[in-house]
Amino acid sequence: MITVLTINDGVLFRTRDFIPDYRYTINFVDSWSVDEIIILDITRGKDNSKEKFYKVVEDFSANCFVPLSVGGGVTSLDDFSKLLNIGADKIVINTEAYENPELITQAAEKYGSQCVVVSIDAKITENDIYKVFTNFGSKMRSLEPQSWAKKAQDYGAGEIMITSIDKDGTLEGYDNKLNSLISNVVTIPVLVSGGAGKWQDFVDGIKIGKGSAVCTTNIYHFTESSILNAKKYMKNKNIEVRI
Amino acid sequence: MKISIIDYGLGNLRSVYGAIERIGGEVSITNDISELKQSDKLILPGVGAFADGMESLKKLGLIEPLKELIIEQKKPIFAICLGFQLLAKESSEFGAHKGLGFIDAIVRKINRNDKQIIIPHVGWNDMIKVQDSYLWKEIPKDTLFYYVHSYHVVCNNKRIIIGKCHYGIDFISAIEDKNIVATQFHPEKSQYFGLQVLKNFIEKK
Repeated sequence: MITVLTINDGVLFRTRDFIPDYRYTINFVDSWSVDEIIILDITRGKDNSKEKFYKVVEDFSANCFVPLSVGGGVTSLDDFSKLLNIGADKIVINTEAYENPELITQAAEKYGSQCVVVSIDAKITENDIYKVFTNFGSKMRSLEPQSWAKKAQDYGAGEIMITSIDKDGTLEGYDNKLNSLISNVVTIPVLVSGGAGKWQDFVDGIKIGKGSAVCTTNIYHFTESSILNAKKYMKNKNIEVRI
Repeated sequence: MKISIIDYGLGNLRSVYGAIERIGGEVSITNDISELKQSDKLILPGVGAFADGMESLKKLGLIEPLKELIIEQKKPIFAICLGFQLLAKESSEFGAHKGLGFIDAIVRKINRNDKQIIIPHVGWNDMIKVQDSYLWKEIPKDTLFYYVHSYHVVCNNKRIIIGKCHYGIDFISAIEDKNIVATQFHPEKSQYFGLQVLKNFIEKK
């Protein structure tokens, strides 16, 4: 079970009126049964936000002894190098991977393919056809997510993170039709994201969506014991989880 | 106790550093040979490709000094993931490459006979103790550790194997060979018991 944290201009971004304080989150994440953390920089159009984001990543990596994937605005091998040096284990790329898939290959050759997570945002369009969206979900692309996922794997991606734009933030459950479209065409792990709101959603993400791992973004819905309880629930449904 | 994390430009140095700091060791990240010489114990971390790792060690002029410190002077070293693989004689990752050759082993890709098996092997998995080791002090049976790799180490000398894992095939999860210990999993990413393994290394007399 992966916890996804979105950082805006150096602070944890939440959709409710919480006081933004990422140290609070670090303390929580460390004591939870979380298996992995993904930190995404979702700052738009601020020049000095990078340094703030790097500081957040450094703080997390020094305090959380679980795997850390980091992304948001990664466009070059230099960005890979910078983020790995400050404690990231894997790098998440989205828009740049789509526009310049050679970067996937270069990064995989330099850091190993397990280091390269290609994140795909997808949305249902006309005639129920899914399309890839880049640039924070604002730009529709020509490829369907399953073709792009396959292509990304061929370029050397180590994992695919698939997010349903339609379901993200709804708490209605994952888009498992979308998820299984992806997991059926690739042999690398698929992390399913967007929409989880109850424990059964995690089970469905694995069983129906055939994800290798399930992501949750709305961390404020969970208290210390509820991640553990969610995992116990999954275990009872015969899913292998770390308790 | 002075611990040096060998900085050769690849890997999650920050989290290893954080882990040792949390345990309470005096730790530095360095590729300065005199500093490495002065430390009591070494850590060779690593994430990345084998050839780049060797190339980088070579460029930094670290291969001979490491040989002197580890093989001749028997300084304790803990090698992690790619660090573990670099200790081997050679690897087939992206072509054939020579390794440090500190252990009698080679590196091979996880063989995907089983179509269900996804490569790279990423996630929490078993560490099955096959031999007692000081690294396993206070590590319960069936503890899970975090793995991220596409390649694995094949030891010619079976006596050094202390832990195994199963993922499509049985592969070596940990070794202890005199002053050298190494794990394919990432102790610095394996929460409580990962830190315990590192603590065992640091506290070993």
